[in-house]
Amino acid sequence: MPDLYNKLFEDVRVREGLKACLNCGTCTAICPAAEFYDYQPRRIVDILQTKDDSQIEALLKSDTIWYCGECMSCVTRCPRGNAPGKLIQALRSLSQDLGYFTESEKGRQQLAIKRTIGKWILEYGYCLFPSEILPGLHPEQGPIWEWEYQHIEAVMTRLGANYKGTGPGILRKIPDEALDEIYKIFEVTGGISRFDKIEEFSKKKAREMGMDMESGTNDDYVKFIYTVNSGNHTKKNED
Amino acid sequence: MNKTAIIIGGGVAGMETAIQLLRLGIEVYLIEKESRLGGHLNSWDHLFPNRRDSKEVSEYLQLGMNEGISLHLNAEIDTLWNDKKKFNIKLKDGTRLNSDALVIATGYEVFDARKKEEYGYGIYDNVITSVELEEFLRNNELKRLFEGKTSKRVGIIHCVGSRDEKVGNLYCSKLCCVTGVKQAIEIRERMPDIEVFCFYMDLRMFDRYFEEMYFEAQEKWGVQFIRGRLSEAAENQDHTLLIKLEDTLTGLPLKMNVGLLILLVGFVPSPETRRLASMLGLKEGDDRFLCPADEHTLTNSTKIPGVFLAGTVKGPEGIAGTITDARAAALQVAAYLTSRE
Amino acid sequence: MKIEGKQRIWMDYQKEIADDHFFYVRSCVRQNFFPGSEKTFLRILQSELQKDIYENPSHTTCSGIGYHADIVPFETSMTMVARQFALMTEAGYENFTTSCITSFGLYSEVLETWHHFPETEQKTRDFLYKATGRTFKKPSNVSHASDIIFKFRKKISEKGKYRLINRQTGQPLRVVEHIGCHYSKMFPSKGVGGAEYPYVLTGMIDEWGGEVIDYPERRHCCGFGFRQYFVQANRGFSISCSKKKFESMEPYKPDMILTNCPGCPMFLDRWQYAISEMEGKTYGDNGYGIPVLTYEELAGLVLGYDPWDLGLQVHQVPIEPLLEKIGIPYDPEMKFRNISGQDIGRPESPSFLKFYPEKV
Repeated sequence: MPDLYNKLFEDVRVREGLKACLNCGTCTAICPAAEFYDYQPRRIVDILQTKDDSQIEALLKSDTIWYCGECMSCVTRCPRGNAPGKLIQALRSLSQDLGYFTESEKGRQQLAIKRTIGKWILEYGYCLFPSEILPGLHPEQGPIWEWEYQHIEAVMTRLGANYKGTGPGILRKIPDEALDEIYKIFEVTGGISRFDKIEEFSKKKAREMGMDMESGTNDDYVKFIYTVNSGNHTKKNED
Repeated sequence: MNKTAIIIGGGVAGMETAIQLLRLGIEVYLIEKESRLGGHLNSWDHLFPNRRDSKEVSEYLQLGMNEGISLHLNAEIDTLWNDKKKFNIKLKDGTRLNSDALVIATGYEVFDARKKEEYGYGIYDNVITSVELEEFLRNNELKRLFEGKTSKRVGIIHCVGSRDEKVGNLYCSKLCCVTGVKQAIEIRERMPDIEVFCFYMDLRMFDRYFEEMYFEAQEKWGVQFIRGRLSEAAENQDHTLLIKLEDTLTGLPLKMNVGLLILLVGFVPSPETRRLASMLGLKEGDDRFLCPADEHTLTNSTKIPGVFLAGTVKGPEGIAGTITDARAAALQVAAYLTSRE
Repeated sequence: MKIEGKQRIWMDYQKEIADDHFFYVRSCVRQNFFPGSEKTFLRILQSELQKDIYENPSHTTCSGIGYHADIVPFETSMTMVARQFALMTEAGYENFTTSCITSFGLYSEVLETWHHFPETEQKTRDFLYKATGRTFKKPSNVSHASDIIFKFRKKISEKGKYRLINRQTGQPLRVVEHIGCHYSKMFPSKGVGGAEYPYVLTGMIDEWGGEVIDYPERRHCCGFGFRQYFVQANRGFSISCSKKKFESMEPYKPDMILTNCPGCPMFLDRWQYAISEMEGKTYGDNGYGIPVLTYEELAGLVLGYDPWDLGLQVHQVPIEPLLEKIGIPYDPEMKFRNISGQDIGRPESPSFLKFYPEKV
């Protein structure tokens, strides 16, 4: 079993964000995730400072570390200089590198994000692209987006974009040389390796769960992780 | 030759050191920047743990101030230097003094609660400090504080300006907890329909009868203690405050509306202490309070022969502790002056 | 409320904002959802303020969204940031300005990390060189686009044609200001006014005649949450955060919400729509919702630009009630037309959030 605490400590965000927690609760007081989920950022720091690998392993495999919205409100308040939000980032990184993320309902969702945001970064050079934001998958974007989507070129032109064009401007076609450079950056820094791991471990999990996982966003496994919510994530009501 | 000592600071430490030095036959000059003696003692109403009237302690100190002490009030120090024979002081009004020994008793200031921006002190009307509450208690105006308020709840916030890396004060100010418990009792005593909550991190009831006060606050007065540090205060339309913290014992975030927030502000070294220390070359700790020559055995001396420390220049301390420390300082000064003959 | 208390805090958090010669990097979300805002930003800087602001077409996403959704490792994001700096250095610029707040947070975080852990900077340089052959200098100033509009708010006011006053009542408009979390929560000293009482948007509102509303949940995150929004199963978190804010600001009767982050206006706009569909409840005047604007859109309105050039037609919450309040003329016929003025259809009406005008 890998030495989890030490591996975590290699992450510069843990060296920066793990001081010593005195359990004052100012982070949890202000955390949006703590309002809605059964989650306390204070507990995250408290567990990490025990250096107990078995607790850390349980954390890496749980839904708990996936509730945070990375708003960093906790960082502003901690009187000891801890940064629970950054520790969450480090935990999520390690969880994916070790494959533990597929053990939890929320963790499994990383594949859906990799196949959308991850794919678009490499393909377009942007994290989002209008043609990819399907109104069907985003009903909350409203009728306004549905109309925009149907008339995207006209709307973009109207608003002064250089949609898919050469040269500078909004939503320009990013030159292929630049996209090549980004790809190489991802290769050299471990980004591609992270993407591959997300795929590999997810494939294993999908097989275990008896689901089909091809390469798009339409396969059973991806649809499953994108939509399923067990409803067990909020606080238990105490009578 | 006449043995002389200058005491800078006319608060509790300075006054008691002066009284004792006089009794030991030393010629004393006492310099105080305000127009009257007493320092922070003048701000308090009743003192813990026995809730006695602070005026009684003020009177005891005043009684000791007789003509033998050369008093300089409204006196600000311009420069201060040590020429190895004497300690020399020039006041801003031009007066020059010198002595064989020097006692730094310039005390502390309370933490400026405006620095804890998220608490809204100085911005929202219903956020006050523990010092300001004492004044309402002294003037018997507690009821006025609650006039016209829609909420009958008070939140007392512990550790304001202490144990806090964000404001640069890592240390504990020691006496705020018992102050909070005392004030909680005092409010409940005078206004039984007001609900009082103490929001603490740890309850530092370290001295004699402090723990008993905590018990009394809960059992007799129904003060509610919640373990959670205040994260944020925001103002509602009716000027009540919405406070956010976590009840760490149940692990649940907590939001509450209160009518009044009382911030237990801690100690910070006074700017004057730091200024004089730098003029003399005295050592400051990481917490910016002054360091004695030895934490256990030489708690009133410094590395500079003839320069002594008394009271809260060394860190947070209460009235009783300060009076004791001042007497110890006086003894050290007298011993030093005797050994020089 | 004592305004002097806030003013003291604002004075403590003064920030160095460069004056001219900006290297501009765009925002993924804004290019997709608020292209008019970025267009307007360049228009204001170039035409109104005569500033030199340069965009290299080769620049890309900073990968911030991927970084905060945790699919992109930190080293990768650091190197993506380094590449953007390399483009800046190559073009001969030193003042870096970002359109996105997540970007701003990421660039700040990377620079701070390099500062505290110099070995990470060296490693990044090696990675960048290995991957692209590029080298870079760190910017001497990093600002967010809203910092620049803040800095020149007086000039904009002087050239302005409209003030933020309700012309029917004569009263200043009541404005809720919403700051993106990554602007100052991580590094309060990098935000104008710090983290608790940021001044970057308040300053604009003050200068342009409006009244800033403080309300209890002012500092609450809008709920973007990155993965909490992208994955459908998590969206409850995102909408709940926005709803908390709406419920808290409602009694104060705001006329509009002003934001400086790309995601925030999108969420504060769209979640009003989603809440109305789910619960039948709308906020603001008479079922029209509370209009949410970016700072460029507001600056553009103050300067008298055509609302449809600014891109206000692509907000779900209709903008017309606000335009009427200020007295800004607009052509309702042209709202959904293309650049040649042709009719390309219009969006359907939501069930509860009123469409303006009611008759289509």
